[in-house]
Amino acid sequence: MARVEFQASLDGLEASLQEQGAVVLRALRGAIDVLRSQDTELCDEVVAFDDEIDSRYHRIEKAIEELLAQQSPVATDLRLVLAILHDSIHLERIGDQCVTIAKLTKLAAELEPRHDLVEGLMEMGERAEEMVRIALDSFSARDVERARGLVELDELIDRTNRRVSDQVLSMASTPGTQEWGMRMIVVSRCIERIGDNAVDIGEQTAFVVTGEFHEFSDASH
Amino acid sequence: MSMTTPRIDSGKLGELATAPDGRGAETVFTVNDLSVTYSGNTALQGVTLEIKKNFVTAFIGPSGCGKSTFIRCFNRMNDLVPGAAIHGEVLYHGRDLYAANVDPVEVRRRIGMVFQKPNPFPKSIYDNIAFGPRILGMTKGLDERVERTLRHAALWDEVKDRLKENALGLSGGQQQRLCMARALAVEPDVILMDEPASALDPISTSRIEDLIHELKSDYTIVIVTHNMQQAARVADMTAFFSVEVRDDGGGRHGILVEYDQTTKVFTNPSDKRTEDYVTGRFG
Repeated sequence: MARVEFQASLDGLEASLQEQGAVVLRALRGAIDVLRSQDTELCDEVVAFDDEIDSRYHRIEKAIEELLAQQSPVATDLRLVLAILHDSIHLERIGDQCVTIAKLTKLAAELEPRHDLVEGLMEMGERAEEMVRIALDSFSARDVERARGLVELDELIDRTNRRVSDQVLSMASTPGTQEWGMRMIVVSRCIERIGDNAVDIGEQTAFVVTGEFHEFSDASH
Repeated sequence: MSMTTPRIDSGKLGELATAPDGRGAETVFTVNDLSVTYSGNTALQGVTLEIKKNFVTAFIGPSGCGKSTFIRCFNRMNDLVPGAAIHGEVLYHGRDLYAANVDPVEVRRRIGMVFQKPNPFPKSIYDNIAFGPRILGMTKGLDERVERTLRHAALWDEVKDRLKENALGLSGGQQQRLCMARALAVEPDVILMDEPASALDPISTSRIEDLIHELKSDYTIVIVTHNMQQAARVADMTAFFSVEVRDDGGGRHGILVEYDQTTKVFTNPSDKRTEDYVTGRFG
Protein backbone atom coordinates (compact mmCIF):
# COMPACT_ATOMS: atom_id res chain seq x y z
CA MET A 1 0.00 0.00 0.00
CA ALA A 2 1.51 3.27 -1.16
CA ARG A 3 0.81 6.69 0.39
CA VAL A 4 0.85 5.39 3.94
CA GLU A 5 0.70 8.85 5.56
CA PHE A 6 -2.15 9.92 3.33
CA GLN A 7 -4.14 6.78 4.10
CA ALA A 8 -3.53 7.33 7.80
CA SER A 9 -4.93 10.88 7.43
CA LEU A 10 -8.02 9.57 5.66
CA ASP A 11 -8.53 6.91 8.34
CA GLY A 12 -8.11 9.58 11.02
CA LEU A 13 -10.70 11.79 9.36
CA GLU A 14 -13.21 8.96 9.24
CA ALA A 15 -12.60 8.16 12.89
CA SER A 16 -13.13 11.84 13.77
CA LEU A 17 -16.42 11.86 11.90
CA GLN A 18 -17.65 8.80 13.79
CA GLU A 19 -16.58 10.42 17.06
CA GLN A 20 -18.50 13.57 16.14
CA GLY A 21 -21.45 11.29 15.37
CA ALA A 22 -21.22 9.66 18.79
CA VAL A 23 -21.21 13.09 20.48
CA VAL A 24 -24.22 14.19 18.41
CA LEU A 25 -26.08 11.02 19.37
CA ARG A 26 -25.47 11.87 23.06
CA ALA A 27 -26.91 15.35 22.48
CA LEU A 28 -29.90 13.87 20.70
CA ARG A 29 -30.48 11.38 23.51
CA GLY A 30 -30.45 14.30 25.96
CA ALA A 31 -32.89 16.31 23.84
CA ILE A 32 -35.31 13.35 23.70
CA ASP A 33 -35.04 12.74 27.45
CA VAL A 34 -35.90 16.33 28.37
CA LEU A 35 -39.13 16.07 26.38
CA ARG A 36 -40.43 13.64 28.98
CA SER A 37 -38.55 14.75 32.11
CA GLN A 38 -38.86 18.55 31.55
CA ASP A 39 -35.50 18.63 33.37
CA THR A 40 -34.31 22.22 32.85
CA GLU A 41 -30.78 21.47 34.04
CA LEU A 42 -30.47 18.78 31.41
CA CYS A 43 -31.82 21.29 28.87
CA ASP A 44 -28.92 23.62 29.76
CA GLU A 45 -26.46 20.75 29.44
CA VAL A 46 -27.71 19.89 25.95
CA VAL A 47 -27.34 23.55 24.93
CA ALA A 48 -23.82 23.80 26.36
CA PHE A 49 -22.82 20.49 24.78
CA ASP A 50 -23.23 22.04 21.31
CA ASP A 51 -19.86 23.78 21.67
CA GLU A 52 -18.23 20.36 21.72
CA ILE A 53 -20.03 19.37 18.51
CA ASP A 54 -19.09 22.64 16.81
CA SER A 55 -15.44 22.37 17.76
CA ARG A 56 -15.30 18.82 16.38
CA TYR A 57 -16.81 20.06 13.13
CA HIS A 58 -14.21 22.84 12.89
CA ARG A 59 -11.38 20.39 13.56
CA ILE A 60 -12.59 18.13 10.76
CA GLU A 61 -12.96 21.07 8.39
CA LYS A 62 -9.42 22.26 9.18
CA ALA A 63 -7.98 18.77 8.70
CA ILE A 64 -9.74 18.52 5.33
CA GLU A 65 -8.44 21.92 4.25
CA GLU A 66 -4.89 20.76 5.00
CA LEU A 67 -5.41 17.40 3.32
CA LEU A 68 -6.70 19.04 0.14
CA ALA A 69 -3.78 21.46 0.11
CA GLN A 70 -1.10 18.87 0.78
CA GLN A 71 -2.32 15.61 -0.73
CA SER A 72 -4.52 16.60 -3.70
CA PRO A 73 -6.87 13.64 -3.33
CA VAL A 74 -8.64 12.38 -6.45
CA ALA A 75 -11.22 9.75 -7.37
CA THR A 76 -12.56 7.71 -4.41
CA ASP A 77 -10.25 9.58 -2.01
CA LEU A 78 -11.63 12.93 -3.16
CA ARG A 79 -15.23 11.73 -2.87
CA LEU A 80 -14.55 10.37 0.61
CA VAL A 81 -13.04 13.66 1.78
CA LEU A 82 -15.94 15.68 0.34
CA ALA A 83 -18.48 13.30 1.87
CA ILE A 84 -16.84 13.51 5.30
CA LEU A 85 -17.03 17.31 5.12
CA HIS A 86 -20.72 17.19 4.15
CA ASP A 87 -21.52 14.60 6.80
CA SER A 88 -19.75 16.64 9.45
CA ILE A 89 -21.85 19.69 8.52
CA HIS A 90 -25.03 17.60 8.69
CA LEU A 91 -24.04 16.34 12.14
CA GLU A 92 -23.33 19.88 13.26
CA ARG A 93 -26.83 20.88 12.12
CA ILE A 94 -28.34 17.97 14.03
CA GLY A 95 -26.56 19.36 17.09
CA ASP A 96 -28.20 22.75 16.41
CA GLN A 97 -31.63 21.10 16.23
CA CYS A 98 -30.96 19.47 19.61
CA VAL A 99 -30.18 22.91 21.05
CA THR A 100 -33.47 24.30 19.74
CA ILE A 101 -35.40 21.34 21.17
CA ALA A 102 -33.74 21.83 24.57
CA LYS A 103 -34.35 25.60 24.63
CA LEU A 104 -38.02 25.25 23.68
CA THR A 105 -38.54 22.45 26.17
CA LYS A 106 -37.08 24.64 28.90
CA LEU A 107 -39.35 27.52 27.92
CA ALA A 108 -42.36 25.17 28.05
CA ALA A 109 -41.34 23.51 31.31
CA GLU A 110 -43.78 25.50 33.41
CA LEU A 111 -46.67 24.83 31.05
CA GLU A 112 -49.08 21.93 31.17
CA PRO A 113 -48.04 19.32 28.56
CA ARG A 114 -50.37 17.12 26.51
CA HIS A 115 -49.06 13.65 27.31
CA ASP A 116 -50.30 12.00 24.11
CA LEU A 117 -48.39 14.58 22.07
CA VAL A 118 -45.26 14.14 24.20
CA GLU A 119 -45.44 10.42 23.40
CA GLY A 120 -45.64 11.28 19.69
CA LEU A 121 -42.61 13.56 19.94
CA MET A 122 -40.66 10.91 21.89
CA GLU A 123 -41.48 8.35 19.20
CA MET A 124 -40.25 10.74 16.51
CA GLY A 125 -37.08 11.45 18.48
CA GLU A 126 -36.27 7.79 18.96
CA ARG A 127 -36.79 7.15 15.29
CA ALA A 128 -34.50 10.09 14.44
CA GLU A 129 -31.89 8.69 16.82
CA GLU A 130 -32.09 5.32 15.08
CA MET A 131 -31.77 7.03 11.68
CA VAL A 132 -28.61 8.93 12.68
CA ARG A 133 -27.11 5.69 13.96
CA ILE A 134 -27.94 3.86 10.72
CA ALA A 135 -26.61 6.79 8.66
CA LEU A 136 -23.26 6.67 10.47
CA ASP A 137 -23.00 2.87 10.39
CA SER A 138 -23.88 2.59 6.72
CA PHE A 139 -21.34 5.30 5.88
CA SER A 140 -18.65 3.41 7.75
CA ALA A 141 -19.60 0.14 6.04
CA ARG A 142 -20.16 1.83 2.62
CA ASP A 143 -23.55 0.06 2.66
CA VAL A 144 -25.63 1.91 0.08
CA GLU A 145 -28.70 -0.31 0.45
CA ARG A 146 -28.89 0.28 4.19
CA ALA A 147 -28.38 4.01 3.64
CA ARG A 148 -31.19 4.00 1.07
CA GLY A 149 -33.49 2.40 3.69
CA LEU A 150 -33.35 5.70 5.61
CA VAL A 151 -35.93 7.15 3.24
CA GLU A 152 -38.66 4.84 4.58
CA LEU A 153 -37.81 5.68 8.18
CA ASP A 154 -37.85 9.36 7.32
CA GLU A 155 -41.33 9.00 5.87
CA LEU A 156 -42.53 7.66 9.25
CA ILE A 157 -41.11 10.71 11.02
CA ASP A 158 -42.67 13.04 8.46
CA ARG A 159 -46.04 11.38 9.03
CA THR A 160 -45.83 11.78 12.80
CA ASN A 161 -44.75 15.40 12.35
CA ARG A 162 -47.90 16.08 10.32
CA ARG A 163 -50.05 14.32 12.93
CA VAL A 164 -48.53 16.36 15.79
CA SER A 165 -49.09 19.58 13.86
CA ASP A 166 -52.73 18.69 13.19
CA GLN A 167 -53.30 17.86 16.86
CA VAL A 168 -51.75 21.13 18.02
CA LEU A 169 -53.95 23.06 15.60
CA SER A 170 -57.04 21.24 16.86
CA MET A 171 -56.31 22.30 20.45
CA ALA A 172 -55.82 25.95 19.47
CA SER A 173 -59.16 26.83 21.06
CA THR A 174 -58.34 25.11 24.35
CA PRO A 175 -57.35 27.79 26.90
CA GLY A 176 -53.85 27.41 28.42
CA THR A 177 -52.51 24.96 25.85
CA GLN A 178 -51.74 27.27 22.91
CA GLU A 179 -48.27 28.34 24.03
CA TRP A 180 -47.17 24.80 24.83
CA GLY A 181 -48.57 23.63 21.50
CA MET A 182 -46.84 26.36 19.50
CA ARG A 183 -43.49 25.47 21.04
CA MET A 184 -43.98 21.77 20.44
CA ILE A 185 -44.81 22.32 16.75
CA VAL A 186 -41.30 23.76 16.37
CA VAL A 187 -39.82 20.85 18.38
CA SER A 188 -41.60 18.45 16.05
CA ARG A 189 -40.20 20.29 13.05
CA CYS A 190 -36.67 20.09 14.54
CA ILE A 191 -36.93 16.32 14.89
CA GLU A 192 -38.26 16.06 11.36
CA ARG A 193 -35.19 18.00 10.12
CA ILE A 194 -32.88 15.60 11.99
CA GLY A 195 -34.42 12.78 9.95
CA ASP A 196 -33.71 14.76 6.77
CA ASN A 197 -30.08 15.26 7.84
CA ALA A 198 -29.72 11.52 8.39
CA VAL A 199 -31.00 10.92 4.84
CA ASP A 200 -28.49 13.51 3.60
CA ILE A 201 -25.68 11.52 5.23
CA GLY A 202 -27.03 8.39 3.54
CA GLU A 203 -26.86 10.16 0.18
CA GLN A 204 -23.18 10.89 0.79
CA THR A 205 -22.58 7.17 1.35
CA ALA A 206 -24.05 6.46 -2.08
CA PHE A 207 -21.88 9.23 -3.57
CA VAL A 208 -18.69 7.74 -2.15
CA VAL A 209 -19.54 4.27 -3.43
CA THR A 210 -21.06 5.04 -6.84
CA GLY A 211 -19.30 8.26 -7.74
CA GLU A 212 -22.60 9.94 -8.58
CA PHE A 213 -24.71 12.14 -6.36
CA HIS A 214 -28.47 11.65 -6.39
CA GLU A 215 -31.02 12.68 -3.80
CA PHE A 216 -32.74 9.56 -2.47
CA SER A 217 -36.11 11.24 -2.66
CA ASP A 218 -37.52 14.44 -4.07
CA ALA A 219 -37.50 17.02 -1.28
CA SER A 220 -40.46 18.83 -2.83
CA HIS A 221 -42.83 15.99 -1.86
CA MET B 1 -1.14 -11.65 -12.81
CA SER B 2 -2.57 -11.29 -16.27
CA MET B 3 -4.47 -8.18 -17.24
CA THR B 4 -6.63 -7.64 -20.26
CA THR B 5 -7.13 -4.58 -22.38
CA PRO B 6 -10.75 -3.44 -22.50
CA ARG B 7 -12.25 -2.45 -25.81
CA ILE B 8 -13.10 1.20 -25.58
CA ASP B 9 -15.85 2.59 -27.77
CA SER B 10 -14.35 6.00 -28.31
CA GLY B 11 -17.05 6.85 -30.87
CA LYS B 12 -19.51 7.09 -28.00
CA LEU B 13 -17.00 8.97 -25.90
CA GLY B 14 -16.58 11.60 -28.59
CA GLU B 15 -20.26 12.44 -28.54
CA LEU B 16 -20.30 12.63 -24.78
CA ALA B 17 -17.12 14.62 -24.61
CA THR B 18 -17.86 17.50 -26.96
CA ALA B 19 -17.05 20.68 -25.05
CA PRO B 20 -19.69 23.41 -24.58
CA ASP B 21 -17.67 25.70 -26.85
CA GLY B 22 -17.92 23.19 -29.70
CA ARG B 23 -14.39 21.85 -29.45
CA GLY B 24 -14.07 18.10 -29.86
CA ALA B 25 -16.80 17.77 -32.47
CA GLU B 26 -14.46 16.41 -35.16
CA THR B 27 -11.99 13.56 -35.08
CA VAL B 28 -8.35 14.23 -35.97
CA PHE B 29 -6.79 10.82 -35.29
CA THR B 30 -8.43 7.42 -35.31
CA VAL B 31 -6.20 4.70 -33.92
CA ASN B 32 -7.23 1.10 -34.49
CA ASP B 33 -5.58 -1.83 -32.71
CA LEU B 34 -2.16 -0.23 -32.79
CA SER B 35 0.89 -2.14 -31.60
CA VAL B 36 4.52 -1.05 -31.67
CA THR B 37 7.52 -3.35 -31.55
CA TYR B 38 11.21 -2.55 -31.19
CA SER B 39 13.36 -5.24 -32.84
CA GLY B 40 10.49 -7.69 -32.43
CA ASN B 41 9.83 -6.87 -28.76
CA THR B 42 6.35 -5.51 -28.14
CA ALA B 43 6.39 -2.10 -26.46
CA LEU B 44 2.74 -1.23 -26.85
CA GLN B 45 -0.18 -3.49 -27.69
CA GLY B 46 -3.66 -3.17 -29.12
CA VAL B 47 -4.45 0.52 -28.63
CA THR B 48 -7.71 1.84 -30.04
CA LEU B 49 -8.84 5.43 -29.50
CA GLU B 50 -9.75 8.69 -31.18
CA ILE B 51 -8.20 12.12 -30.72
CA LYS B 52 -10.69 14.96 -31.07
CA LYS B 53 -10.06 18.26 -32.82
CA ASN B 54 -9.17 21.24 -30.60
CA PHE B 55 -9.09 19.03 -27.56
CA VAL B 56 -6.16 18.68 -25.21
CA THR B 57 -5.63 14.96 -24.78
CA ALA B 58 -3.28 13.75 -22.05
CA PHE B 59 -1.52 10.41 -21.85
CA ILE B 60 -0.62 9.35 -18.33
CA GLY B 61 0.85 6.19 -16.89
CA PRO B 62 3.88 4.73 -15.17
CA SER B 63 7.33 4.51 -16.76
CA GLY B 64 7.48 1.89 -19.47
CA CYS B 65 3.75 1.95 -20.24
CA GLY B 66 4.36 3.07 -23.82
CA LYS B 67 2.85 6.54 -23.68
CA SER B 68 5.89 8.20 -25.29
CA THR B 69 6.08 5.38 -27.83
CA PHE B 70 2.42 6.01 -28.60
CA ILE B 71 2.65 9.80 -29.02
CA ARG B 72 5.54 9.29 -31.44
CA CYS B 73 3.23 7.28 -33.70
CA PHE B 74 1.19 10.39 -34.43
CA ASN B 75 3.94 12.11 -36.43
CA ARG B 76 5.90 9.01 -37.47
CA MET B 77 8.81 9.78 -35.17
CA ASN B 78 9.20 6.05 -34.61
CA ASP B 79 10.23 5.77 -38.28
CA LEU B 80 13.56 7.22 -37.13
CA VAL B 81 14.11 4.50 -34.51
CA PRO B 82 16.03 1.51 -35.91
CA GLY B 83 14.02 -1.71 -35.58
CA ALA B 84 10.74 0.02 -34.73
CA ALA B 85 7.64 -1.41 -36.42
CA ILE B 86 4.03 -0.25 -36.30
CA HIS B 87 1.10 -2.66 -36.59
CA GLY B 88 -2.49 -1.54 -36.84
CA GLU B 89 -3.87 1.70 -38.17
CA VAL B 90 -3.44 5.40 -37.52
CA LEU B 91 -5.84 7.55 -39.53
CA TYR B 92 -5.26 11.30 -39.70
CA HIS B 93 -8.46 13.05 -40.79
CA GLY B 94 -9.49 9.68 -42.18
CA ARG B 95 -6.27 9.07 -44.16
CA ASP B 96 -3.78 6.35 -43.35
CA LEU B 97 -0.78 8.11 -41.82
CA TYR B 98 1.46 5.17 -42.69
CA ALA B 99 0.38 4.71 -46.32
CA ALA B 100 3.26 4.33 -48.78
CA ASN B 101 2.54 7.63 -50.53
CA VAL B 102 2.57 9.72 -47.34
CA ASP B 103 5.62 11.96 -46.93
CA PRO B 104 6.84 11.83 -43.30
CA VAL B 105 8.29 15.35 -43.59
CA GLU B 106 4.89 16.73 -44.55
CA VAL B 107 3.38 14.75 -41.66
CA ARG B 108 5.76 16.42 -39.23
CA ARG B 109 4.95 19.86 -40.62
CA ARG B 110 1.28 19.32 -39.91
CA ILE B 111 1.91 17.51 -36.66
CA GLY B 112 4.57 19.35 -34.68
CA MET B 113 6.31 18.10 -31.59
CA VAL B 114 7.76 19.61 -28.43
CA PHE B 115 10.08 17.49 -26.31
CA GLN B 116 10.85 17.10 -22.63
CA LYS B 117 14.08 19.03 -22.74
CA PRO B 118 13.99 22.38 -24.53
CA ASN B 119 16.11 21.95 -27.64
CA PRO B 120 16.45 25.29 -29.42
CA PHE B 121 18.92 25.47 -32.28
CA PRO B 122 22.17 27.24 -31.33
CA LYS B 123 21.06 30.17 -33.40
CA SER B 124 19.32 33.48 -32.80
CA ILE B 125 15.80 33.61 -31.39
CA TYR B 126 14.61 34.92 -34.74
CA ASP B 127 16.30 32.16 -36.72
CA ASN B 128 14.87 29.47 -34.46
CA ILE B 129 11.37 30.56 -35.49
CA ALA B 130 12.25 31.35 -39.11
CA PHE B 131 14.08 28.07 -39.72
CA GLY B 132 11.05 25.90 -40.45
CA PRO B 133 9.18 28.42 -42.61
CA ARG B 134 12.35 29.08 -44.65
CA ILE B 135 12.89 25.39 -45.35
CA LEU B 136 9.27 25.06 -46.41
CA GLY B 137 9.51 28.15 -48.64
CA MET B 138 7.16 30.16 -46.45
CA THR B 139 9.40 33.23 -46.71
CA LYS B 140 6.78 35.83 -47.56
CA GLY B 141 6.16 38.14 -44.58
CA LEU B 142 8.68 36.24 -42.49
CA ASP B 143 9.17 39.04 -39.94
CA GLU B 144 5.43 39.22 -39.34
CA ARG B 145 5.26 35.43 -39.05
CA VAL B 146 8.03 35.41 -36.44
CA GLU B 147 6.29 38.13 -34.40
CA ARG B 148 2.87 36.51 -34.72
CA THR B 149 4.23 33.15 -33.69
CA LEU B 150 6.15 34.53 -30.70
CA ARG B 151 3.03 36.41 -29.61
CA HIS B 152 1.02 33.22 -29.94
CA ALA B 153 3.53 31.47 -27.70
CA ALA B 154 3.29 34.32 -25.15
CA LEU B 155 6.99 35.06 -25.59
CA TRP B 156 7.04 38.21 -27.74
CA ASP B 157 7.12 40.76 -24.93
CA GLU B 158 10.05 39.00 -23.31
CA VAL B 159 12.23 38.66 -26.43
CA LYS B 160 11.18 41.42 -28.86
CA ASP B 161 14.27 43.51 -28.04
CA ARG B 162 16.75 40.68 -28.43
CA LEU B 163 15.60 38.69 -31.43
CA LYS B 164 19.14 38.48 -32.77
CA GLU B 165 20.55 37.06 -29.54
CA ASN B 166 21.37 33.39 -29.19
CA ALA B 167 18.34 31.37 -28.08
CA LEU B 168 20.51 29.39 -25.68
CA GLY B 169 20.72 32.54 -23.53
CA LEU B 170 17.02 32.25 -22.67
CA SER B 171 15.83 30.63 -19.45
CA GLY B 172 14.64 27.01 -19.56
CA GLY B 173 10.98 28.06 -19.53
CA GLN B 174 11.54 30.63 -22.26
CA GLN B 175 13.46 28.06 -24.33
CA GLN B 176 10.53 25.66 -24.06
CA ARG B 177 8.05 28.32 -25.15
CA LEU B 178 10.43 29.14 -28.01
CA CYS B 179 10.31 25.48 -29.03
CA MET B 180 6.53 25.66 -28.93
CA ALA B 181 6.67 28.81 -31.06
CA ARG B 182 9.02 27.02 -33.46
CA ALA B 183 6.47 24.26 -33.81
CA LEU B 184 3.69 26.81 -34.39
CA ALA B 185 5.65 28.74 -37.03
CA VAL B 186 4.95 26.21 -39.78
CA GLU B 187 1.19 26.37 -39.14
CA PRO B 188 0.63 22.85 -37.87
CA ASP B 189 -2.72 21.24 -37.19
CA VAL B 190 -1.63 19.24 -34.17
CA ILE B 191 1.02 19.80 -31.51
CA LEU B 192 2.43 16.77 -29.70
CA MET B 193 4.11 17.45 -26.37
CA ASP B 194 6.22 14.82 -24.67
CA GLU B 195 6.49 15.91 -21.02
CA PRO B 196 6.94 19.56 -22.02
CA ALA B 197 7.17 20.93 -18.48
CA SER B 198 8.97 18.19 -16.59
CA ALA B 199 12.30 20.06 -16.67
CA LEU B 200 10.78 23.41 -15.70
CA ASP B 201 10.16 25.23 -12.43
CA PRO B 202 6.54 25.75 -11.22
CA ILE B 203 6.19 29.28 -12.65
CA SER B 204 7.47 28.26 -16.08
CA THR B 205 5.24 25.20 -15.87
CA SER B 206 2.17 27.30 -15.19
CA ARG B 207 3.07 29.54 -18.17
CA ILE B 208 3.26 26.47 -20.41
CA GLU B 209 -0.09 25.29 -19.06
CA ASP B 210 -1.65 28.73 -19.66
CA LEU B 211 -0.28 28.55 -23.18
CA ILE B 212 -1.82 25.12 -23.73
CA HIS B 213 -5.21 26.53 -22.69
CA GLU B 214 -4.82 29.42 -25.15
CA LEU B 215 -3.62 27.26 -28.03
CA LYS B 216 -6.39 24.69 -27.87
CA SER B 217 -8.87 26.92 -29.67
CA ASP B 218 -6.59 26.81 -32.74
CA TYR B 219 -4.76 23.51 -32.41
CA THR B 220 -5.28 19.95 -31.36
CA ILE B 221 -2.88 19.14 -28.55
CA VAL B 222 -1.68 15.76 -27.33
CA ILE B 223 0.47 15.75 -24.22
CA VAL B 224 2.38 13.05 -22.38
CA THR B 225 2.87 13.92 -18.74
CA HIS B 226 4.13 12.27 -15.59
CA ASN B 227 2.42 14.97 -13.59
CA MET B 228 -1.14 13.79 -13.01
CA GLN B 229 -2.27 17.14 -11.66
CA GLN B 230 -1.01 18.71 -14.87
CA ALA B 231 -3.19 16.32 -16.88
CA ALA B 232 -6.11 17.17 -14.60
CA ARG B 233 -5.49 20.89 -15.09
CA VAL B 234 -5.03 21.07 -18.86
CA ALA B 235 -6.64 18.09 -20.56
CA ASP B 236 -10.16 17.57 -21.88
CA MET B 237 -9.57 13.84 -22.31
CA THR B 238 -7.14 11.58 -20.50
CA ALA B 239 -5.85 8.17 -21.52
CA PHE B 240 -4.31 5.99 -18.83
CA PHE B 241 -1.71 3.48 -19.99
CA SER B 242 -0.31 0.71 -17.86
CA VAL B 243 2.17 -2.12 -18.07
CA GLU B 244 0.95 -5.63 -18.73
CA VAL B 245 3.09 -8.65 -17.95
CA ARG B 246 2.70 -11.30 -20.62
CA ASP B 247 1.21 -14.64 -19.55
CA ASP B 248 4.24 -16.56 -20.77
CA GLY B 249 6.49 -14.41 -18.61
CA GLY B 250 8.24 -13.33 -21.80
CA GLY B 251 8.24 -9.66 -20.98
CA ARG B 252 5.98 -6.69 -20.48
CA HIS B 253 4.34 -4.15 -22.73
CA GLY B 254 2.16 -1.09 -22.51
CA ILE B 255 -1.60 -1.17 -22.87
CA LEU B 256 -4.37 1.40 -22.86
CA VAL B 257 -6.45 0.82 -19.73
CA GLU B 258 -8.95 3.67 -19.77
CA TYR B 259 -9.74 6.63 -21.99
CA ASP B 260 -12.35 9.11 -20.88
CA GLN B 261 -13.10 12.70 -20.04
CA THR B 262 -10.46 14.04 -17.66
CA THR B 263 -13.03 14.92 -15.01
CA LYS B 264 -14.29 11.34 -15.05
CA VAL B 265 -10.79 9.85 -14.84
CA PHE B 266 -9.93 11.98 -11.81
CA THR B 267 -13.24 11.79 -9.96
CA ASN B 268 -14.69 8.40 -10.76
CA PRO B 269 -12.51 6.23 -13.00
CA SER B 270 -14.11 3.10 -14.42
CA ASP B 271 -11.14 0.77 -14.04
CA LYS B 272 -9.56 -0.19 -10.72
CA ARG B 273 -6.08 0.05 -12.25
CA THR B 274 -6.75 3.70 -13.14
CA GLU B 275 -8.12 4.34 -9.66
CA ASP B 276 -5.01 2.81 -8.09
CA TYR B 277 -2.72 4.90 -10.28
CA VAL B 278 -4.41 8.31 -9.93
CA THR B 279 -4.84 7.89 -6.17
CA GLY B 280 -1.18 6.92 -5.82
CA ARG B 281 -1.87 3.34 -4.70
CA PHE B 282 -0.01 1.99 -7.74
CA GLY B 283 2.75 -0.54 -7.12
